[in-house]
Amino acid sequence: MDIATTAAWKSDKREAVKEPLLQVRDLHTHFFTDSGTVRAVNGVSFNLERGERLAIVGESGSGKSAMAMSLIQLIAYPGKLVSGSVKLDGREMVGMSESELNKLRGGSIGTVFQDPISSLDPVMLIEDQMVKPIRMHLKLGAKEARRHAVNLLERVGIPDAERRISSYPFEMSGGMRQRIMIAMALSCKPKLILADEPTTALDVTIQAQIVELLKNLTETTGSAMMFITHDLGLVARFAQKVAVMYAGKIVEFGTVDEIFDTPSHPYTQSLLMTIPGVSDGQRRRLLQIKGFPPDMKKPVVGCAYKDRCPAASERCRLDPPELAEREGGHLAACWLENGLRSGDGGSIEAMLGEERNEPFASAGSGAANGRDGGREPSAGEAADVVLRITDLRKSFRKASMLPWKKATEIRAVSGISFTLKRGETIGIVGESGCGKSTTARMLLKLEEPTGGRIEMNGNTQIVFQDPYSSFNPKMKIADIIAEPLHVRRIGTREERKERVRELIQKVGLDIAYLDRYPSQLSGGQRQRVGVARALALNPTVVVADEPTSALDVSVRAQIINLLCDLKEELGLSFVFISHDLSTVRHISDTIAVMYLGEIVEYGPAEEIFVHPAHPYTKALIEAVPVPDPKIEAAKKLSLLKGELPSPAHPPSGCAFSSRCPLATPVCTEKKPALQPYLDRREVACHAVS
Amino acid sequence: MLSYAGKRLAQLIVTMFGVVTLVFFSIRMIPGDAASAMAGENLSGAALEEMRQKLGLDAPLWRQYSDYLLSVVRFDFGHTITTSLPIAELMLKALPLTMMIACMTVLIAVLLAIPLGTLAAFLANKGRKALDNIITWAAMVVDLMPSFWTGLLLMLFLSLNLKLLPASGDISFGEPGFMLQRIALPVLVLAVSQVATLARITRTAVLEVLNEDYIRTARSLGMTEILVVFRHALKNAMLPIITVIGLSFGHLLSGTVIVEFIFSIPGIGTLLVYGINSRDYPLVQNVILFYAFIFVVINFITDMVYKKVDPRVQF
Repeated sequence: MDIATTAAWKSDKREAVKEPLLQVRDLHTHFFTDSGTVRAVNGVSFNLERGERLAIVGESGSGKSAMAMSLIQLIAYPGKLVSGSVKLDGREMVGMSESELNKLRGGSIGTVFQDPISSLDPVMLIEDQMVKPIRMHLKLGAKEARRHAVNLLERVGIPDAERRISSYPFEMSGGMRQRIMIAMALSCKPKLILADEPTTALDVTIQAQIVELLKNLTETTGSAMMFITHDLGLVARFAQKVAVMYAGKIVEFGTVDEIFDTPSHPYTQSLLMTIPGVSDGQRRRLLQIKGFPPDMKKPVVGCAYKDRCPAASERCRLDPPELAEREGGHLAACWLENGLRSGDGGSIEAMLGEERNEPFASAGSGAANGRDGGREPSAGEAADVVLRITDLRKSFRKASMLPWKKATEIRAVSGISFTLKRGETIGIVGESGCGKSTTARMLLKLEEPTGGRIEMNGNTQIVFQDPYSSFNPKMKIADIIAEPLHVRRIGTREERKERVRELIQKVGLDIAYLDRYPSQLSGGQRQRVGVARALALNPTVVVADEPTSALDVSVRAQIINLLCDLKEELGLSFVFISHDLSTVRHISDTIAVMYLGEIVEYGPAEEIFVHPAHPYTKALIEAVPVPDPKIEAAKKLSLLKGELPSPAHPPSGCAFSSRCPLATPVCTEKKPALQPYLDRREVACHAVS
Repeated sequence: MLSYAGKRLAQLIVTMFGVVTLVFFSIRMIPGDAASAMAGENLSGAALEEMRQKLGLDAPLWRQYSDYLLSVVRFDFGHTITTSLPIAELMLKALPLTMMIACMTVLIAVLLAIPLGTLAAFLANKGRKALDNIITWAAMVVDLMPSFWTGLLLMLFLSLNLKLLPASGDISFGEPGFMLQRIALPVLVLAVSQVATLARITRTAVLEVLNEDYIRTARSLGMTEILVVFRHALKNAMLPIITVIGLSFGHLLSGTVIVEFIFSIPGIGTLLVYGINSRDYPLVQNVILFYAFIFVVINFITDMVYKKVDPRVQF
């Protein structure tokens, strides 16, 4: 018996007298691809108690999803569960026949997947998708099974469930579909629910609703839950236990307080510092974990984290550490008792200090170091307005084929105004459908405004959300960056080449990357290329449309730092569009909160975050989970009810009145105007002004 | 559904009008005119003029066009020039045979190809490459064989060597037994390539769907593989399959000229070949119109089935 197993057994004794619900021992899952064997899950052992909520955290590629799918043995070809043991209620699942497994899947084990849009069969009624498994597992008749399904839908908060059950998935919103997924996973009273990033694809407010729902459901039904996430805030809000995965292994395992208060593994310690804190007021430079996760096709010698770990010693290079018990009883796989805190002063900062001050690019000037002093733009610059938007409007008309029917008008953006000065960043936040992307498209002249004015001093460029699909895969990086120059016929071939070399260094990549193709780069590197391409034409304003939401937490920090550096170095102005509020807060000077095509609150970022005035802003900020279990436990969530109304039929009066906790009759009659509020702020709400 | 059908039907009428117009003008774009093309070189001026009058080519173009439109609306397709038989009657006689061959071929193709393609996709999804490769390669090789070649080979073996099926002889609906034997060979030849094409399309479509998230959802709910494949995968994969079935049905109904010629089946294809050979341009014009009509109607049916299979389809 190896150390991991022994340690895990010990923790058994500590935790419960009864047998744990789920016992996983030395699980190995490999993917046998043409280019080699990927050891996605490489010896995972843990226990899950009844009714417990365990979060699995890790970067993409750390084997989280493969591990979860291995538990129910639904690994897609060419993946295969190679060895290990999975016991549910003491029953060994590895080696079970397919028909026995099928009784457990959807029966004792329910699964919720990440993307509710693609996880429901698009051509089948909800009813048909739900009733069949219920009949199979619970041996119910058609009518009883349907009644059961309707009850479940009511329980997960689907209004008018009796009618909605006979509709197709495409007739519902993403949040509704995720509720249906949850109802399906819960349908046969599972003892264990597996949730693979259950809220990642959803808006903040909807995410908060779904998390509350899952929390309540596990508490009332007594189901245990294992959920995968990369959002540490969500972990703090939701989990009781946390397992941190790195390179196919669990490197740290403990209660949520242990992990957040006294993380022991260098990876966990660093990970917690890569996220912008919502509570800390002053903006610190985010930690970047240097390097990349190891190539899982090659066997790992020693500790998998050794190349990225500032505390790595000779021993780490040869001998892989196994999970061992730490003070307080949680487990960590590191030779150092306290990980990065094992250094002189016992502080993580001391150990990481060197990296945190490290300037960005090889071409990085001293600007990055002097950032604290250079934060505020000087008075001369401040007067320099680069972008002024006045009463900007965009509506889409959908004409009916029948000439006598009136065309429906959808107001995507209805009269927004703001100004942006040189070197400033404005963050635009709001739920999907609030008009933030349409605004971005108008700024880039990809969309003609139907009203209002855009005055620009210079030009605008964009950094896209998805660095995977925003490049032509057949073009070399050099050509991708040079494309805007090429299109505008700027410079000679030689000059362009020189400019491209300059640009790629500016975003912190080596010029060796110029000859590669996008597929040979990681997500973070690609997003750097995206930034370089945006910089090619010397823009004054860069529109960044969710530039970090497709990236891993640690990579996200790199891109945010890069944007901050560029802002200071080149005096760029950013329009930063995101639903990730903590990132927006970190990077923006000014914030505009949008709701149904209107700005409902506008003002300095820090003040809005600390003292939000509009009830919608309050709800948004509250909905964002904070990566601190103590704050989360103390929070009393007043969740925003319902979803964003259709822009085709906005509520009369204040657009937010249908969801507002403070709504009075006045709000449904009269639309509140954006009024000055306190110092330098504007709010559109009857209750505030 | 009904309003959808109504809209599509309205569109269909517009399309048909376009088709009729196109056919009318493309025939008039033949160098010289249809009369001289039909008459050949050794016709005197007077006879040519007579021919023009007979065909109505002496009238102004707009007149010819409106006459033609009217006749189409009245289902009056005129007479052939060489035999003076009513064209409508000729086509009605040729149609049932072509129709039967087409229907039987499609039926066989659907019954064989969909299970075969689904099986191959299922095997590929599970990583059992060997059998999948055999099915896929076999389908591809068969698909590439030209029908005149397979036709002749089958005729050689089944009719001449083994004397199992007749290769010639008059076909009449009075003798259904003999008729079935006569059309068995052409159906076989056509079915072979249809099965191959359709099986490949089915494999691709089903394989793609099997990688979808909702298939994983179905499996996570404890659905057996049979249910996963037939309840979820196949239904979702139906759209491209239906498109291909519709297209090949259209092709088959337009009377696969070569196969009809090889097996001397008096179907629509043979009628067209006859029309072309005898330079009978009203006949050719009407057969072409009929082809276009077939495709428009089949597209309409395909769209209706689409809507039935996938509720997301919108007009």
